[in-house]
Amino acid sequence: MLQKLFRGKKEKRAYNGSKLDGDMSKDNSEKIDSELTKTVNIFKTIYSYPDNQDVTIRNIHINGLNKDGALLFISTITDTKVIDEYVIEPLLKNQDSEVKIDDLVSVPSISKTTAIADICTEVNNGSAVLFVDEETQAYILNASNFESRGIEKPENETVVKGPKEAFIEKASTNISLIRKRIKNENLVVETQTVSKRSNNVAYIVYIKNVTNDDIVDKVKSRLHTMDVDAVQNLSLLEQYIEESHVSIFPTVLNTERPDRAVSFLEDGYVVLLMDNSPDSLVVPATFWSFYHTSEDHYLRLPYGNFTRVLRLFALFVTLFTSALYVAVVTFHVEMIPPDLLLAIASTRELVPFPALFEVLLMEIAFELIREAGLRVPSPIGPTIGIVGALILGQAAVEANIVSPIVVIVVALGGLSSFAIGDISMNFAIRLSRFIFVIAAGVFGMYGMVALFTLGVFYLVSIRTFGVPYLAPMTPTYKSSKDTIFRKMLQNEIFRPGYMKPKDMKKK
Amino acid sequence: MKIVNLPCKLALFSLFFLLLTGCWDQTEVEQLAYVVAIGLDKPEDVKEGLVEITYLIANPQSGAKVGGDEPPREIISFSVNDFINARNLANTVIAKQISYDLLRFIIVSEEFAKDDDFIKWMYDATKATDFRRDLRILVSKESPSTFMQNNEPLVDKRPHKYFDLIFKRGKETGTIPPGELFSFYRITESDANVFLGVYATTEQEEEGARQEDSDQIIAGEFDSSGETNTTQFAGSAVFKEGKMIDTLTIEETRLSFLLSNIFEKPREILTAMPDPFDEDYQLTTRIQRDGNIDMNMDLEKEKPTIDVTVPIVLEVMTNHSMNNYSDDVKKREKLEDSLEDTLTQKFEDLIKKTQEEFGAEPFGWSLIARKEFLSIPEYEEFNWMKTYPEMEINVNVNLRIDKFGRQIRLPDLDEVRD
Repeated sequence: MLQKLFRGKKEKRAYNGSKLDGDMSKDNSEKIDSELTKTVNIFKTIYSYPDNQDVTIRNIHINGLNKDGALLFISTITDTKVIDEYVIEPLLKNQDSEVKIDDLVSVPSISKTTAIADICTEVNNGSAVLFVDEETQAYILNASNFESRGIEKPENETVVKGPKEAFIEKASTNISLIRKRIKNENLVVETQTVSKRSNNVAYIVYIKNVTNDDIVDKVKSRLHTMDVDAVQNLSLLEQYIEESHVSIFPTVLNTERPDRAVSFLEDGYVVLLMDNSPDSLVVPATFWSFYHTSEDHYLRLPYGNFTRVLRLFALFVTLFTSALYVAVVTFHVEMIPPDLLLAIASTRELVPFPALFEVLLMEIAFELIREAGLRVPSPIGPTIGIVGALILGQAAVEANIVSPIVVIVVALGGLSSFAIGDISMNFAIRLSRFIFVIAAGVFGMYGMVALFTLGVFYLVSIRTFGVPYLAPMTPTYKSSKDTIFRKMLQNEIFRPGYMKPKDMKKK
Repeated sequence: MKIVNLPCKLALFSLFFLLLTGCWDQTEVEQLAYVVAIGLDKPEDVKEGLVEITYLIANPQSGAKVGGDEPPREIISFSVNDFINARNLANTVIAKQISYDLLRFIIVSEEFAKDDDFIKWMYDATKATDFRRDLRILVSKESPSTFMQNNEPLVDKRPHKYFDLIFKRGKETGTIPPGELFSFYRITESDANVFLGVYATTEQEEEGARQEDSDQIIAGEFDSSGETNTTQFAGSAVFKEGKMIDTLTIEETRLSFLLSNIFEKPREILTAMPDPFDEDYQLTTRIQRDGNIDMNMDLEKEKPTIDVTVPIVLEVMTNHSMNNYSDDVKKREKLEDSLEDTLTQKFEDLIKKTQEEFGAEPFGWSLIARKEFLSIPEYEEFNWMKTYPEMEINVNVNLRIDKFGRQIRLPDLDEVRD
């Protein structure tokens, strides 16, 4: 069915891929030779043997059958111990002259193929290939062993209460982490190759009888239309499949928590995984998924909603404090209580810059500290904090470059910005903050209100994989109303209606 | 022609958009001189049509870490056409742009307030956009410039804070009326009531000292000594038809509060009342109006009558005659009757004063009376201001004693002395 759907695209792709046709390894028609030395020579050329250090060709004589054979594998991505114990040893020690090769070798997965291209793919994926003299097919023995680290705690999405496993750079482990949470045959993991030269594979995970087919098809078609040589990981893939590439609001959610990915899967979303990515992509992502954290649901209802209120407050503080200060001080003096007004006026008396410039100066300084703190090697990290706070805060005030109130305002906004955990939304808010400050400096409160209105217009207009960005709030959909606040778990009955799930009711 | 790409166009558009439409002529906070109070007076020996304006300007630097030794205020007086024109003229002396953003008071000298032309200048405030409608009108016995210069609070030196606190406290204790500018306009234009402005002075009267009743005083009559400010805020200035005609004492101001539904209820009126059990002593009471007053009007008659029921809740705070009221129902009844009579008498005296001396009432009863008429022309025909002095007004006090202080019982003095 899929092939039918994408036939048009496929043809285009075949045309574009023509540059690779000259590559010998990719020629599907070419088969291996029944003469062992010839076959081995073909592969020696393909893999630049012996210049290529980790490509190993092991010639063996199979006792009993009395045939010559050759094993081809890349030693760095293959489990040599498995090859040694379960392939080479049985072959050498065999005495039986009637036995088949399939029965001799005791690795868990074995298959046969004739095409050179297929063999290359398997070898590149860590399998060992056994060629036997006078046979026209090769045995592919699965013994791949890519290096990766063990499962660790999440670094960016930390929680106090709840599971503490995070995705790692190995997709099979990540799928295992998901399957551990959804023990159901309807959980489907499809693969799709997304790049041509590096053959990177993306895993499309969804629950067959929940997720709407249209959304799965849309995701697949987006992956299919990509025309690139290499996509290393999901952070790059995200940028190929997202809705608008220049919009400041993210439309694809990146999460490193398997429990979070699973909760989206259960609501009918599609999750993408890839090797080399210690995270997963959730599509489509609405505004609310960036505002929520998994802990909101792990905490009891009042506590969870309390953190939501705090986060919402932090969001608005980040967006508006600096802008509000600029607007009020430059245009709306009569709004300030007399005591505060005189306090502001007295601190501003010695400052040489207008309020707008003063705030921008501090904001940029804050962003600089933040960026520098992120990039600084960890041994000198703590120094940055002290230098930043002391030099820029205290000294700037004492030198009358900025007024103390501005330091408070900017620090408050800056600190609050950390409450928005998702890095993409964090950037979106921080960037909008600058626009708000400028709008406030030029047009005062009027500018802020106008910009906010425009911003809301824009938010409402965004669609991601056909889903409105602010759904289910605007437009309204049948859902569990998990937006600003969450409900009691007992009352979260429905899956989000905008996902058009095959099974609407959760309970 | 070279085609400019979209981002470039957008950048140019936003640049011109900001440059052409932005408010680039705004003034930063520190470039403004904040006027807290404006004084209005009639200058001597100057031609007609001029007024003497006094600005009381707050200094933001006062008390600040840097430059904190600067004085908290600046006062400047000069003759000018009006206080709108004055903003520019003041800049011949004051370095910063004059701002009325912090303006809270208009101080008028008693002499100017009693002038027929006074109202003409008051209406200037309706013209300027940055005049707040809740400015307070303050009448000073002396000229505003003298008032401001003499007013030197020892502790709350910053003028805006000082005035804020004085007025907040005055409102709570009922010693001064709210005196807001918008009600001045409303009352003047509806031509049915009198307006109460705040009365204040910095000059203490020598002979007025030691009044028999400590509440029967206006500003200047309060005899205080010690090391403090000489400014006194007490009582009200009565304005009829936009012109000051008389003053009300602290007690009369408080009674007006109790008799009116439009004034906010003062929270703690502490006052002394005669003790029915011992003439030598007085009882200190805390009086509050217990809800709205009830008015029963019969305006159809030849001589219109109004029955006013004032609900009062009262707390007896002192008891120098050492009577234990809580033990004796009869004593309590006697006390209640006596207090009711005293209050009724005071209300009647005040109403009589307003009828005979002012010819109009400050209580805002005309607003209640409007409901008695079917149409505005009928009400205007009735002419409240003209009819008021002729009316028969019966005051009935509905008094409830709330409690007798924190500790109800007092020891028997004879036993203590035994």
